[in-house]
Amino acid sequence: MTVLKTSMRNFLAHKGRMALSAVAVLLSVAFVCGTLVFTDTMNATFDKLFANTASDVSVGPEKDDDAQVTGKPETLPAALREKLAKVDGVAGVEPHATSKQLTVVNDKNKSLSPTSGAPTVGTNWGDSQKKSVEITSGHEPHGPAEAVLDADTAGKHGVKTGDKLRVIAAPGDFTVSVVGIATFKTTNPGAALLYFDTPTAQAKLLGSTGEFSGYGLTAASGVSDEQLKQRVSEALGSSARDYAVRTAAETKEENKKDIGSLLDVMKYALLGFAGIAVLVGVFLIVNTFSMLVAQRTREIGLMRAIGSGRAQILKSVLTEALLLGVVGSVLGIGGGIGLAVGLMKVMGSMGMKLDMGELTIKATTPVVGLAIGVLVTLLASLVPAFKATRISPMSALRDAGTPADGKAGKVRASIGLVLTALGGLALAAAAKADDAAAGSGVLAIGVLLSLIGFIVVGPLLAGFVVRAISVVVLRVFGPVGRLAERNALRNPRRTGATASALMIGLALVAALSVVGSSMVASATDQLDKSVGADFIVQSENQQPLSPAVVKAVTSAGHVEHVSEYAVVSAKITTPDGRTVTQRLSAASPTYADDVRAETVKGNLKDAYGKDAMSVPEGFAKDHGIKPGDRLKVAMTGGRPAELTVKAVTSDDTSIDQGAVYTNIATARTYLPADKMPLDFMLLAKAADGRTKEAAAALKASVEQYPQVKVRDQSDYKKLIQDQVGQLLNIIYGLLALAIIVAILGVVNTLALSVVERTREIGLMRAIGLSRRQMRRMIRLESVVIALFGALLGLGLGMAWGTTAQKLLALQGLGVLDIPWPTITAVFLGSAVVGLLAALVPAFRAGRMNVLNAIATD
Amino acid sequence: MTTAVSIPKTGGSGGHTAVAARARQVVKAYGAGETRVTALDHVDVDIARGQFTAIMGPSGSGKSTLMHCLAGLDTVTSGEIFIDETEITGLKDKKLTRLRRDRIGFIFQAFNLLPTLNAIENITLPMDIAGRKPDKAWLDRVVETVGLAGRLKHRPNQLSGGQQQRVAVARALAARPEIIFGDEPTGNLDSRAGAEVLGFLRRSVDELGQTIVMVTHDPVAASYADRVLYLADGRIVDEMYSPTADAVLERMKNFDARGRVS
Repeated sequence: MTVLKTSMRNFLAHKGRMALSAVAVLLSVAFVCGTLVFTDTMNATFDKLFANTASDVSVGPEKDDDAQVTGKPETLPAALREKLAKVDGVAGVEPHATSKQLTVVNDKNKSLSPTSGAPTVGTNWGDSQKKSVEITSGHEPHGPAEAVLDADTAGKHGVKTGDKLRVIAAPGDFTVSVVGIATFKTTNPGAALLYFDTPTAQAKLLGSTGEFSGYGLTAASGVSDEQLKQRVSEALGSSARDYAVRTAAETKEENKKDIGSLLDVMKYALLGFAGIAVLVGVFLIVNTFSMLVAQRTREIGLMRAIGSGRAQILKSVLTEALLLGVVGSVLGIGGGIGLAVGLMKVMGSMGMKLDMGELTIKATTPVVGLAIGVLVTLLASLVPAFKATRISPMSALRDAGTPADGKAGKVRASIGLVLTALGGLALAAAAKADDAAAGSGVLAIGVLLSLIGFIVVGPLLAGFVVRAISVVVLRVFGPVGRLAERNALRNPRRTGATASALMIGLALVAALSVVGSSMVASATDQLDKSVGADFIVQSENQQPLSPAVVKAVTSAGHVEHVSEYAVVSAKITTPDGRTVTQRLSAASPTYADDVRAETVKGNLKDAYGKDAMSVPEGFAKDHGIKPGDRLKVAMTGGRPAELTVKAVTSDDTSIDQGAVYTNIATARTYLPADKMPLDFMLLAKAADGRTKEAAAALKASVEQYPQVKVRDQSDYKKLIQDQVGQLLNIIYGLLALAIIVAILGVVNTLALSVVERTREIGLMRAIGLSRRQMRRMIRLESVVIALFGALLGLGLGMAWGTTAQKLLALQGLGVLDIPWPTITAVFLGSAVVGLLAALVPAFRAGRMNVLNAIATD
Repeated sequence: MTTAVSIPKTGGSGGHTAVAARARQVVKAYGAGETRVTALDHVDVDIARGQFTAIMGPSGSGKSTLMHCLAGLDTVTSGEIFIDETEITGLKDKKLTRLRRDRIGFIFQAFNLLPTLNAIENITLPMDIAGRKPDKAWLDRVVETVGLAGRLKHRPNQLSGGQQQRVAVARALAARPEIIFGDEPTGNLDSRAGAEVLGFLRRSVDELGQTIVMVTHDPVAASYADRVLYLADGRIVDEMYSPTADAVLERMKNFDARGRVS
């Protein structure tokens, strides 16, 4: 009881000093809980959406991942409708004609398709649509020239009833006028939706009025979904296996599969970043408790002198930690819910309207948050707590002064050096590894060991590195700089832990920036070396190019040649008797000039001959394939083919790595026209000296198709750079959390140091140190700690990044590019961070009353 | 019997006037209304240049407050304080800090030194802060006088309490301030170490012409001074020239016996 009372009093007495630790716990817990609440809410939202729209039993074509991308959805015969209607227990059959492979453009030739990756869906207006949307202005679509657009898309692009839209679908383009606007009754998942009447949807989206993309069946009363599914499967007889017959629950599951796994990836990625922040927070908490214990040495000595046992001291410190953990976690859980709401708002602004009423807080979320917050805090306080128990009763009698300098021990030094050395060896081994898969394991071990090694050896390094930094940075500031340097050095363990926290986040930033810029540099290098084409024509929304686009591009002027490139799904039977699913790169023979893939055996041109192909090096090695071998190639939906291997391509490339080349004409020989995949991209080479004219001609040729982009090589390089840059920015953004916690750690260390050094500050002010000099001294100390952390972090991170590049050098990451501007910016940025972190502590030190400071015990 | 005392005597280091510091009608009060406590009650005092002045009085008499006010560490409620001819009452923090740095030396009872700096660095700290080069010859003389020549590279935690106070004295002297203020500088020392420090202060007055003001409650410490001022209830109630320890002790007893009615 007394223990709890003392702990409570201590906790409350030092609530200011605890505040930053609580914020660190709060941030980490908030991030974890926010992630959980957000992903749970998304899951619940999609559950509801899919449950709302699913028919009791639906009949569709069997989904085949190996199906060729023909631009038209898989369909069922329209005649099936009669058959299904006759099944006992079916109360109604609703045919669907839906396609997600279309682009919608307005009269200004601007695409209305979402840029977020959500699909553009065209479908027939029917009963099942009425479950999720209602027409809020205008009327239902009738006839081939009318359509209804969803309200969110209409709102975003300012489309009103009466406006004309052009729909670019696989069977061809057509124009409709918007006769109605449909508003979502539930959450709009961000897709653009266009509704037509049934015959129009069939003819224009599916290409035939004799087909449907699926059927939704309503069960008669008293018939369960399961029973109905059973009866439908029986009625379909032997043809049932061509169809996917699903109950509403199964449909929901099926629809959820993709989005669910995406949400899972997102969840675990976010939790990973939260984990890094938690790790950084541990340093902050360890430091706080170490400093509180050090400052309370006399008090604890007194407690021991008057008869407190070691266990009681331990309990008292741990109880304080428990209180901190509970307070931080509870606030963090609240913060997490706030964060989730914020994320939902962000999603809303990106087009995905989430209903706040859907906010899902599972019972496990606060439990997980509390458990993480409390456990981490307790664990982090263990070492300081045990240190407190070793305080002798004699401490009560000794002069308080400042706590003794914590010297980094020899044991610690040797452990740290051994770990760092082992980490270095592992990194060196990973850099030399031939096999990327095995090497990445070694890389991970190396990263972990070198990180822990640096953390352990940090206090020792503080001595050298802080002095080195001081020589360059602080000496300029004369005696104030020297005082700052001495202060940073006086407790190397504290400085080391504070800097380590910053090091973790910055090491990851540095490593990723090295890998990212090496990716860009390698791709650029590859483009320069192996790409002979001047232009790349691709669609923006990951969809294949419609035949109309291909026709327009191939007939553009000033162009020497245009190469088609399609991806064909196939199963290859290799000489070792195994059958592997493989995508073939079916291209025009000129493609060999456009992308000069290096061969290790044979001549790539020959692979474009009749019934010929090439295989990549790794594939050939794995399956014992040599040039001249004839492989059985079964292209999905086509006649079986036997192709001769004429060339083996090198794996040391980042463009078309692992591609199996064959002539597009060969694919067309074995695939019927309706199963032939659409071109995925086109490469064009300008006629000699006509590059400008060709660019203009190509751009003009696709003017009608805003979803199609023509890029020259420099545009393409910029695209890669932008994509890598975007990815890096997202990761940096998430790492910012860990860095913020680390900055709080610097603030915390300084704030507690200022309190600890109250008497020194008073003395210095008394003998003439001005406020400004005092503030500068604290700021410089902060800058030195931050620069120390940055130096370690950037060094470590660059080593990791370089190792990763060397490891992946054979996987197309051949060029090492260290982004010095980024590295320098981070280094200078951390000096700024140091200044900012010192703002409040410096202000408080400067404002300290000289007399009170001298009088402080 | 509040007294304003003027001693027409010139000498010592720094300043031009015979009076190194003076207080006129200084009042220092804490709180307001019923809870108002007057620590200094219209005090007038002159500190003679080149003399060693001790301020004595029972606990709560206001002796430390008077010293803090004279030294520019604390602000007064009313009245004026001059260091040489500079009025320091009303000075802003910036000017006060500079005044302390350039014209005043301090020796506190404890915690005089920065633990991160060694002895010589502590001694030259005020000049370093000011960006001044210490006078090498003077510094050597000061260091030699305090007998620290062999320990200049030691950190404070490697020095005994007496040695630490001697470093503090050396620091106060090194910058050749106009006045050194000591707040019970021997309060934490045993009698031998205390005598060492006091003897040294005495010599610095005699040989170097230093002006020193020291707060103490130890009659033996006071006996090293040229003049002792007695404070009670925030007023100067008596003074004594060329004191001896016995006389000081006798006077103190006397005060206690007479009460504080005078």
